[in-house]
Amino acid sequence: MLQKKVCMLGSFSVGKSSLVRRFVASMFDEQYHTTIGVKVDKKVVNANGEDFTLVLWDIYGEDAFQKMRMSYLRGMHGYLLVVDGTRRQTLEDGLALHDRVVAEFEKVPAVLVLNKFDLTDQWEIEQAQETQLTAAGWTIEHTSAKTGAAVEKAFLHLAQLMLAK
Amino acid sequence: MAEQAQRRAFEAQAQEKPTDNNHAYEELRHLIVAPEQEGIASIQERLDNQEKRTEDVSAVVAEAIQMRREKGDDLALAAALAPTIQETLRESVRRDPHVLADALFPVMGPAIRKSIAETLRGMLESFNEALEHSLSWRGIQWRIEAFRTGKPFAEIVMMHSLLYRVEQVFLIHRETGLVLNHVVAPSAPAQDADMVAGLLSAIQQFARDSFQSGTTENLGNMTFDELQIRVVSGPNAVIAAAIRGHAPEAYNLAMNETLEEIQRHYSSALAHFTGDPGPFRTAEPQIARLLATQYREKPPEMRRPRAAMIVGAIAAVLVIGWAGYSTYLLIEWSRFLSEMRKQPGIVVVSYTKDGRTFHIQGFRDPLSEDPKKLISQAGLDPEQADLQLAPYYSLDDAIVARRATALLHPPAGVTLTAKDGELIPQGSAPEKWIAQLEEKAPWIAGVSRVDESHLQNSNLQQLNALKNTLESAVLLFPLGRAELEAGQETNLAQAEKNIRELVAQAAPLHQAVTIELVGHTDITGVEAANLPLSRQRADQIRAALLRNGVQSASLLPRGVGTSQPLRDEATEDGRRLNRSVTFKLTLTPLPAAGAVAANSGAAPAN
Repeated sequence: MLQKKVCMLGSFSVGKSSLVRRFVASMFDEQYHTTIGVKVDKKVVNANGEDFTLVLWDIYGEDAFQKMRMSYLRGMHGYLLVVDGTRRQTLEDGLALHDRVVAEFEKVPAVLVLNKFDLTDQWEIEQAQETQLTAAGWTIEHTSAKTGAAVEKAFLHLAQLMLAK
Repeated sequence: MAEQAQRRAFEAQAQEKPTDNNHAYEELRHLIVAPEQEGIASIQERLDNQEKRTEDVSAVVAEAIQMRREKGDDLALAAALAPTIQETLRESVRRDPHVLADALFPVMGPAIRKSIAETLRGMLESFNEALEHSLSWRGIQWRIEAFRTGKPFAEIVMMHSLLYRVEQVFLIHRETGLVLNHVVAPSAPAQDADMVAGLLSAIQQFARDSFQSGTTENLGNMTFDELQIRVVSGPNAVIAAAIRGHAPEAYNLAMNETLEEIQRHYSSALAHFTGDPGPFRTAEPQIARLLATQYREKPPEMRRPRAAMIVGAIAAVLVIGWAGYSTYLLIEWSRFLSEMRKQPGIVVVSYTKDGRTFHIQGFRDPLSEDPKKLISQAGLDPEQADLQLAPYYSLDDAIVARRATALLHPPAGVTLTAKDGELIPQGSAPEKWIAQLEEKAPWIAGVSRVDESHLQNSNLQQLNALKNTLESAVLLFPLGRAELEAGQETNLAQAEKNIRELVAQAAPLHQAVTIELVGHTDITGVEAANLPLSRQRADQIRAALLRNGVQSASLLPRGVGTSQPLRDEATEDGRRLNRSVTFKLTLTPLPAAGAVAANSGAAPAN
C-alpha cells in the first residue's frame, strides 16, 4: 500500500491534535506530543479507488522550538495548514509558517483548514480573505473537530492532491 | 436606606445639640462620607456575620482552587489538601463504608479483572514453558536451579535458552520515516509498523536537534532493560532492529552489511521514493535474515540426539565392559587350565567353551586334587565347568606315594615318598609293618622297587637298645673269688631279665641271640691264675642263669683274664671294676622263621 507522510502545521491551539484525534487510529499517548514535540498517527484512506496510508505527524505548535519543527517536516509529501477561524492571528501565523516551509523545502501539496467552524458567531475570517487565498491557489476546507464536519473531506482532498502530484 | 440613616443621624443630632461647630462638622462629614460609611458599615456587618462570610467564600472556593491549580503550583495545593482528604476518607468509611464501596465498585471490577487476566496470561506462559521443558533433562536441571535461586522457572528458562532474540526489523526511508519493509519474528508482539517507524524517526531527529550533535550523528541504540533497539543509518535508508536480550557486536556488523546491500541494490528506488513501498518488497529476505534467534544451548531439535548419544554411550560402555569381562574370563580359564595340566593325577586333553560353560575333557586319578576345589581356588566359578574327566591310574610320584600310603597304612612316624617307581619309606616302623610293606609294595601300581635304606626297624632298634643295656651291665666279684659280691643279686636279676627279653624279642625278628659271658680279673696276681679265675667267674654266672631257667644254648662263658680291662688299673675303683663279668651279645639273622641255629664255640663277631 502506498504511504504518504503528512504533517499537521499551524500555531498553538488551532485544533491540530483534535482534528487528528477525530480522524485516526491512534497508537501513542498525548505525552509523546509534549515530550518530543511530535505524535505520529496513521490513517488509511481510499482515494481514486485506491487505498493508501497516511502517516500523520502531528507537530506541537510551539514557536520556541521552530528549528525542531523544521526537521520533523523533512521528506513530507503533503501537509494540512490548520487555522483557528475564531482567531485571525492564527491565519497570519499559519501563512508565515507556510512561507518558511516553502523556503526550506520544495513545494508540496497543502490544504488550508479553517477549523472550529462550529463557532460561527466567533468567526473572524472574512469571506474576502478566503476568496483571495483561493485565488492564490489554496484549497480551503472548513472543518470542525468538535462536530466532525469536513474533517475526513479535508484529509481526502489532501490525499488526492498528493496522488495527483 | 441612606436617607433613613441620614434622617436618623439628623434626629440624633437634634436631640444632642452640643455646639454649633461640632454640629456643622458632623453634618458635613455625614454629607460627604455617608454612602461610604454605609458601605463600610455593611461590609463590617458582613464580616462579622459568619454565615454571610461563609456564603461569600463558598461562592468562590471552587474557582480559587481551580485557579491555584492552573497557576501550576499543584504540589502545594495537593500537599495542603492531602491530610484533609485522608481524614475525609477515613471519616466517610467510619460513618458509612458503603458510600466509598459504591464509589470504588466500578473501579474495582475492571482492576480485578485486569489483574486476573495478567496473572492467567503469566501462568499460561509459564505453563507453556514448563510443558516444553518438563520432560527434558535440561528442564529438570533448570527446575532445580529455579528452586535453588528462588527465581521463577520461566525466567530461568529464558536466561538459559535465549542469548538474544530479534523480534522485529524495520527498513525505513530515512527522510520521511516511512516504512519500506518490516518483518516480525513469529510469536513476537508487534504494533503498527508505520507508527513505530515514524516515531522512531522523530526521536532520532529530536535527539539530533536537541543535543546539537550535527546531522552526521545517528541514533545507534536505545536500551530499555532487556529490550534494545539498534539503529543503523545509511544515506537514504535506516534499519532498526528490536532485540530482546543482548546481541553481540557481530550483529551490528550484520545489520550494517545488510544496510549496505540494500543501499546498493535499491539506491535509485531510495532516491526517488514517493511513498510506494512496492520496489522494496524484494528486500524482505535480506532483512528477514536479521531476524536471528540465538540460543545459548543447542536448539531443541538437537537435544534429542544428545539423549540418544548418552544412551548410546552407556550402551557402548556396557558392551565393552561385557566384552572385556568375557575376554578376561577366557584368559583366566586358559591360565587355570594350563595350571591344571601341571597338577599330578590330572590330564587335560582338550577344552571347549560353549556359551558360559567350559567343557573340559581329560583324565583324573581318583587320588588327585578335586578339580572343583582347584577351580574355586583360582577364583573362577566351579559351576561354569563341565568336567568330563575319565578315571585312570596315574604314575606320578605324588600319586604313587598317596596310593602307597592309602594301601599300606604306614604307622605314625613313617612317610612314604615315591620317585620314578621307587617307593621310599622314611622313618621307623615295627617289623610287622615292614614285613607287610615288603609283601604288598610290589603290587602297588607304580611301585617297581622299595628302598628301605631310610627305614628303621623299630623292633630291631628296641632289640639293639636291650643289647646295649645288657652289654653295659657289670657283675662285680670280690678279689680272687668267683662268687658274686654281696649286693650284686639285683644286677644279676636285671641282667637275667634283659636276657629273657632279648630272647623273646629276637625270636619274631628271626634273630639268633648268642650271649658271651666274659669274665675279667684285675692285674693282681699272675696271669696263669687270673685266666682260670676269670673263666670260673663266667661259669658261675652261667650256672646262676641256668638255675633260673634261661636257655643254655645261647650262653657262652669265656674268660679273658686281664686282657680286656674295663678300666685302667691305676685306681682301686678301676681294679674293682675289672673283677667282673660282662656280657657280649651277638644277633644273627636266621634264614627262616622259627629256626634257631645251634651255636657252639665262638660265635662269629656281629
